[in-house]
Amino acid sequence: MMDCAQYRRSMLADPHDPDPHLREHRESCHDCTLYSERLLRFESRLERALRVDPVSETPSSSDNVVPLRGRSRTALRSPAYRKRMFAMAASVLMALVVAGGLWLSAPGTSLAADVVTHMREEPQAWRRTDLPVPDPKLENVLRDSHLRLGAGGGAGMVSYANSCGFRGHKVPHLVLQTEAGPVTVMVLVHERSPKPVQFDEQGYRGVIVPVPGHGSLAVLTRGSSTDIETIEHLAHRVLDSIVWTG
Amino acid sequence: MKDQIGGNQKRARFQALCQSLRPDLLRFAFWLSRDRALAEDVVQETMLRAWKAQDSLQDEAAAKPWFLTIIRREYARCFERKRFVTVDVDELVAREEPMLAAAEEQNLAEMRAALFKLPDEYREPLVLQVLMGFSTAEIARELDLSCGAVLTRLFRARKQLRVLCGEDTSMDPQE
Repeated sequence: MMDCAQYRRSMLADPHDPDPHLREHRESCHDCTLYSERLLRFESRLERALRVDPVSETPSSSDNVVPLRGRSRTALRSPAYRKRMFAMAASVLMALVVAGGLWLSAPGTSLAADVVTHMREEPQAWRRTDLPVPDPKLENVLRDSHLRLGAGGGAGMVSYANSCGFRGHKVPHLVLQTEAGPVTVMVLVHERSPKPVQFDEQGYRGVIVPVPGHGSLAVLTRGSSTDIETIEHLAHRVLDSIVWTG
Repeated sequence: MKDQIGGNQKRARFQALCQSLRPDLLRFAFWLSRDRALAEDVVQETMLRAWKAQDSLQDEAAAKPWFLTIIRREYARCFERKRFVTVDVDELVAREEPMLAAAEEQNLAEMRAALFKLPDEYREPLVLQVLMGFSTAEIARELDLSCGAVLTRLFRARKQLRVLCGEDTSMDPQE
């Protein structure tokens, strides 16, 4: 049987560790439950502190994958550096021509692509954990989008809830721990989708389903171990559990 | 012709991948170096090397650790090439003032100042775990350490950080 010191040492090393022995101890120890709650609040602050905004975090349309700003002056004077940059600029120019051609022939950035890009920004959300998000936090995240989750919890326990900037709006970003593993849900009340869309790109598989009168709902998993039918089924379970309040 | 189109598409895909990962790579390089200009230099060199070696990336799902390995090597190379002057941490915090001032809350700025003060060997696994979402095994692989050593460093990192942030540590365990 794990003691309190062992439990707290493990929690300090990884506060989201899903080890069942940790859960077992937490459920039987009031002090360690309190300790975990405090530690998770600290962890949430740590996560936010680490997400500094690099100056050129969002490259403008004229930027390319290789940032050309921020070079030290001494490095810029180096002939070897200039030669390398010239060679690279030629390669990048060629790639931009190709990418530009592809972009012009594409219908524009899809909603699915933007959802996937957002997922890549918050990898910490995907951790397997058995710790639910505190109710007040979940309520805060959902309140602005005028919804709440009904009794029964829908498709699974909510282990992550954040109000995220997405296409100029704040949207709820939830992670549910389901029998198929962590599943991310984004409630996109400002994004209408005329029909259900399935996607499988950059290591993420999911669906976007229309929600009449309330935009759409994106549900996705990481990796390819969950089939699309299961994700669709989960999406409908989540939809069924949503209670719209406005 | 078909090969050329395939190659072009592959390059475009690689470019998109670089763009999507770049913010996290910059953050990682920033926490590694604690210097914004150096972080940008390191990421720039990393992108250059990655661009040249893109054929060696077989699986896009493995892109993040692949880039991080290049960043860490590139950062180490900076030390081989250049002798850095040591700076006082308070001075460092002051130098990053514009970024800290942009933080939405004062306590985030305090947390960042505390992160600056953590020893490199503790800060790096912590950033990999919290910011990059790496598991203990993945961190161990990246840093060439045992899982036990990684857990010890993570434990010490949080323990020190909590003290630096003035948290109530009365319930924290001893080593």
